[in-house]
Amino acid sequence: MKILVTVKPVADPNTPPAAWIDSEKGKSGSVNYVANYFDLIAVEQAIRFKDMGVDDICVVSVTDESKMAQVRSAIAMGANRATLIDPEDRKLGAYQIAAAIAHVVKKEAPAFVLMGKQATDDDASQVGPILAGILGWPQATFVSQIEFNDDKSRVKVGRETDEGVEVLDVKLPAVITCDLRLNEPRYATLPNLIKSKKAPMERLKFSELGIEDSPRVTVEGYSLPEGRSGEAKMVADANELVATLKEMKLVD
Amino acid sequence: MKILVVAEMQLGKLKPSNRATIRMAQDLAAQDGGSFSMVLIGHQLGDAVGELNKYGADTLYVIDAPPFEHYLADTLADAICKLVKAQGFDRVLGGEATTARDYFPRLAGALDAGMCRGVCALTQIDGATCYQRPVFSGMALRTERIHTPIHLITVDPTAIGEPKEGGAGEVVAFDASPQDNANVKFVELQRAASERPDLTVADRVIGAGRGIKSADYLDTIGKLADKLGAAVGATRAVVDAGWLPNEFQVGQTGKAIAPKLYIAIGISGAVQHAAGIRGAKTIVAINKDAEAPIFKIADVGLVADLFDAVPQMIENL
Repeated sequence: MKILVTVKPVADPNTPPAAWIDSEKGKSGSVNYVANYFDLIAVEQAIRFKDMGVDDICVVSVTDESKMAQVRSAIAMGANRATLIDPEDRKLGAYQIAAAIAHVVKKEAPAFVLMGKQATDDDASQVGPILAGILGWPQATFVSQIEFNDDKSRVKVGRETDEGVEVLDVKLPAVITCDLRLNEPRYATLPNLIKSKKAPMERLKFSELGIEDSPRVTVEGYSLPEGRSGEAKMVADANELVATLKEMKLVD
Repeated sequence: MKILVVAEMQLGKLKPSNRATIRMAQDLAAQDGGSFSMVLIGHQLGDAVGELNKYGADTLYVIDAPPFEHYLADTLADAICKLVKAQGFDRVLGGEATTARDYFPRLAGALDAGMCRGVCALTQIDGATCYQRPVFSGMALRTERIHTPIHLITVDPTAIGEPKEGGAGEVVAFDASPQDNANVKFVELQRAASERPDLTVADRVIGAGRGIKSADYLDTIGKLADKLGAAVGATRAVVDAGWLPNEFQVGQTGKAIAPKLYIAIGISGAVQHAAGIRGAKTIVAINKDAEAPIFKIADVGLVADLFDAVPQMIENL
């Protein structure tokens, strides 16, 4: 059984926001990149399915060569190979990225696609469902539990929703996006990192895929949110705290 | 410009976030002197139709059929897609939630439309309406512009005010002819029963962090919440530890909330959690570590052992 897993290199979530904004604007700086954590959860899940008959895990990433180390770290967790789509210096939008991944999905015809539920840089949370829409496949987003049915034609998933855990029975192939509590991703070991350099890697160029060239949504600018004003009023004990809240008419 | 608000039901009632979505539709309509319509989708909608129909919409489309009893992304996206195409809507607005995050991008694929998620403000650039939204765990704001004829927007309900009341629109039943969906079947919703107010709309919220040390202490947190008529929320650490189910999580990967009063108890204040409480009017922090980042965003702070402070508060309230 073949699974495709998507991986996006993103700025380290601990980067100061001003430095991140500079890097997004194309100014050179010292931003470290990591593989998107939710995507690592997806890779981990694919690897855990190996004893369920999954024998071909292909990592798909829309990225240029400069962020190859982050993709390799994901492959080294235990994937078999990778397909890379070079954006050729374009700032791609969610639809274009989904369309590029759809191109690979159509060629590879995997049993299903596993993705992170969102990228921790732009927090858009769009590529998974757009991909499902393009392919006409069922989707299950924010998944924290997955199990196959007997003939592996369907999966039962638990989705983390505002209302609680929603359990769905989903026909494969499907697009499944992974939430935090699905698993704890393993670390790639040094020998596996070295071995990952030999993993077969197919390289595609975005311009060769016949996808619309301009993004549907463009970024017009960045700003920092207004900080919460002033310093906290410090109180000495719980009695003073309650008195202060009463004074502020926040409690009765 | 033809604006459509997609109003949602939640556990048999109108979702509170519908109101912020309607407000943004009113603001968008006011910008070009236009109007807006709404659609409500579900099954056995009953009084919800009348309750929703008081904000000056032109038309309230109602899609009421058994396949919509439980939320399913592709069934819902398909129905909205049909309505948008039939009526020529070019702005489609929904409330940011785990539902809209699921079906709006699918709709974007089906309608060939650009989408912005969790929009917190509208701005104008060169005469075009652009959309501002939080990115990078809420630590930055990004202004985005949509270039497709149809714009899909989900609205951050914690950032937008209440809608203006207005007349009732014409109620029109829309036949979305839903197909029986064999691809995805709803099995069940596992939900912790609670008598407390809903976390996303409560005026007062007590947030519990890792500092409470065990699930046992949630009883005491609950007593404080009940004294104040407050909802209980939690950090990722508390939910990861299994002390509370995931729907209690507040932060980047959980819920964004905007209560009048948020009392953070034993919460260090990591950026991921702070992202979820940006909209709170007053933040109170109780933590024994005076250096905890939560004090940088708090309005009132108490450096104390929460195991002393919380019982004292309960006694004093």
